[in-house]
Amino acid sequence: MNRPRLAIAGLTACSGCQLMLLNCEGELPEIVERFEIVHFPMGESGSDPLDRYDVAIVEGAVSTPKDHQTLFRLRNASRTLIALGTCALFGGVAAMNNGTWDRGEALREVYGEGAGEIDSFRPAALGSFVTVDFAVTGCPPEKSEILELLSALLAGTLPPLPSYPVCLECRSRENLCLLLERDDLCLGPVTRGGCNARCPATGIACEGCRGPVEEANVAQELELLLERRFSKEEIVRRMSRFKAEWDYGQRR
Amino acid sequence: MTGPFSPHIPVAATLTAKRDLTSDTALFTLSAGRDAAGFLSTFVPGQFVQLSVPGGGEIPISPAEPPSAGMIRLCVRRVGHVTGLLHRLPAGSPLGIRGPFGRGFPVDEMAGHPVLLLAGGLGIAPLRSLISHLMAYREKFGEITLMYGAREPSVMLFRDELVELAGRGLIRLYLTVDFAPEDQVGGYSCARGLLPDLLEGFRFDAANSYAAVCGPPPLYRCLTADLEQAGVHPSRVLLSLERRMRCGIGRCCHCAIGQKLCCTDGPVFRLSELKDIPEAL
Amino acid sequence: MATMFLKESLLGEFLETLRLFGELAGPTLSVQGVTVLAPVTDPSLLLLDYKRTQIPPKKYLLPFREKVISFSKGGYHNGGDEPARTVLFAIHPCDLEGIAYLDRVFLADPADPGYARRRSGLTLVGISCEPDDFCFCSGTGEAAPCDLFLNRAEGGFEVTLSTARGEEIAAAARGCLTAFDSASKGKKSPLPPLRKGGDVVPAVRPQGLKRATLVPGSVDPELRFSGHPLWEEFARRCVGCGACSVCCPTCYCFDLREYPELTGGHRRMREWDNCLFKNHGEVAGGNFRPERLDRLRYRFLHKFCGFSPLEGMSSCVGCGRCRQFCPVDIDLRELLPEEGS
Repeated sequence: MNRPRLAIAGLTACSGCQLMLLNCEGELPEIVERFEIVHFPMGESGSDPLDRYDVAIVEGAVSTPKDHQTLFRLRNASRTLIALGTCALFGGVAAMNNGTWDRGEALREVYGEGAGEIDSFRPAALGSFVTVDFAVTGCPPEKSEILELLSALLAGTLPPLPSYPVCLECRSRENLCLLLERDDLCLGPVTRGGCNARCPATGIACEGCRGPVEEANVAQELELLLERRFSKEEIVRRMSRFKAEWDYGQRR
Repeated sequence: MTGPFSPHIPVAATLTAKRDLTSDTALFTLSAGRDAAGFLSTFVPGQFVQLSVPGGGEIPISPAEPPSAGMIRLCVRRVGHVTGLLHRLPAGSPLGIRGPFGRGFPVDEMAGHPVLLLAGGLGIAPLRSLISHLMAYREKFGEITLMYGAREPSVMLFRDELVELAGRGLIRLYLTVDFAPEDQVGGYSCARGLLPDLLEGFRFDAANSYAAVCGPPPLYRCLTADLEQAGVHPSRVLLSLERRMRCGIGRCCHCAIGQKLCCTDGPVFRLSELKDIPEAL
Repeated sequence: MATMFLKESLLGEFLETLRLFGELAGPTLSVQGVTVLAPVTDPSLLLLDYKRTQIPPKKYLLPFREKVISFSKGGYHNGGDEPARTVLFAIHPCDLEGIAYLDRVFLADPADPGYARRRSGLTLVGISCEPDDFCFCSGTGEAAPCDLFLNRAEGGFEVTLSTARGEEIAAAARGCLTAFDSASKGKKSPLPPLRKGGDVVPAVRPQGLKRATLVPGSVDPELRFSGHPLWEEFARRCVGCGACSVCCPTCYCFDLREYPELTGGHRRMREWDNCLFKNHGEVAGGNFRPERLDRLRYRFLHKFCGFSPLEGMSSCVGCGRCRQFCPVDIDLRELLPEEGS
């Protein structure tokens, strides 16, 4: 059997997405048998930088020259490049202050005197630099989605991952609507589903960790939250947590 | 799978051959076996089947010729995930077939009349099964004319066999391309221009004719007006429409055209049925 | 159709009898405080005066996500399991009408195998109700389609048996049912009065917006292209969350999605879809309903005018869910002409 050659790498991120893959403990033997994992710095040591891959799965945002270099190398060496997780797809947590904080100022604030030696730039999604063939969103992605991705890759295709908002699964699970019934700052309507409304099911408002849904009615969500007496500042801060730049006038 | 035909579960079929027609379009031959021959033989030109590509999903395709002895031929362009996967499969790969579904061309009613076929691009594929039928019962029909427009000579499908039918006097054939290198215009015996241009200069027994149209959506909008103006009765203008048919049996509700469902009321509609449905064309 | 009487005090015993016909489920409050249909562990937790459940009974017939086909060893196999027998207790007439509509769609030839299996295992016990501000049902002239209907009356329930299964239940529960003395009540009608006061309950919005009345079966399909200013307004406001359709007792759009498995086979899942989502009308290389306005029109047309072969039939049963659960107060019925206009 032909085993696809796989590279798994992380850029600026917490490694949680890669960890999620390692958490698929029951399926790991199957994965290792069916894929040739040739490059996976987090999971094993040593790799050949001249390798070529069928698929590269990349976690994290791009924020340093080294990230940039790694990303281009993986892109050039792979047939298919997949963004894994919200940071890789939208910039994520690393980019949350992009819209509000000057980069130099942020570095000085965090690193003080040593800031000048830090070589970094505004964190951005993979798609800002290279062509991304497919993305699995989530902070981190669901285990089932990672397995669906790997299974589909084996079958020579890509999985039908959800493009609907969190509300669909939330309502279907018969959760209490935290936006309407509790006036919470819930981002469900503008956030991509697939998590089976994990947080609202436990009474926690959707934080938007899977990034914006296609055609998000951002302006209406903003209105809904303002009606609930949240300040624009607070709303923007919350919405920026997993994706920095929203168009607050966007209705479709 | 053996046993009675189920509209819900695909019948296993094997990819027996793939013939590349252009860089992105190929003719796939599938064998669904003897058990499937019975229900496949109920096929009426214009109907569609749901082709399952394991791991990819299902796509509705109108066969490029009437199935015979459990063999089915599908002309498929590589445009999405499922078609991309299909194009990469080696011969011998397992596939699945559900159907045939929907309403095809009213071939019995068309008997005794001249038939004008208008195909744009890949729209030639569903019409090819109608042509096969017309050829099999050639004496039953009046004059048969095919006008086929493609983007350029290299993507014109089934040209040789169509030219042969014309050569034998079975059909009148008009080929046209949107663009062509200078040296290829004459050599390919095709005009350069759009289908409506061809139709404009065409003189035929419109009041007595049936017209069958299949092509990309913009084509319908111009051609239907032209056909009506020429004098073809709207109930005899037959259009094969495309929508997102998922279940194929009128349940999933993705393929509605007005209040009609493309999968069960179509995919072949009469222009007269669509006139009051603004979103149809 | 026979009518009997069930005393309130004997309800517990009656419920125990119902358990003989399958797992008993009815309206209860979830931990989060949402009214749901769920297995009845403690009959005292049943909400007999509930207004509406968030998800209608359709979840028992069309699961949110269901394996319909599996592929292994080069062939396709039926993915369905034998469903459990379930007794749905205390279902409102509107939801019963909703099930009757789904029956028309899914039991029509060729019957959907999964739906048909689950439907045959389902026993329906209806109950009369009092409409609230969100309801916009009209009392139907016919009996609500169910096996057995409980009509609230003084000291208990008038019980109407409509099917053989209903008779069977009544026979098993004869210890707690008594003959209904219709003469003394001054009426003979076996039809349960579904709603008090006339045939149309005015739709009074909590915010006091204007009312619209639903006239089932006679909505002009051309209204989807009406010049009503609310069309644009709804398209502007709609957040596309899909709640109206998820919670609708007669919305049944589904998608078929294929999931490969690590071991080489794959499964085809049927999942609830939603006409308000962008990909609902998408095909490779295009979209037949690219704008939200196109999708609202599609929804309006399907809901109030019906698709083939149920063309001309409204599937709105007036349960009021879309209205209650919409985060931006969209009520498509406001696009219908006002009564008397």
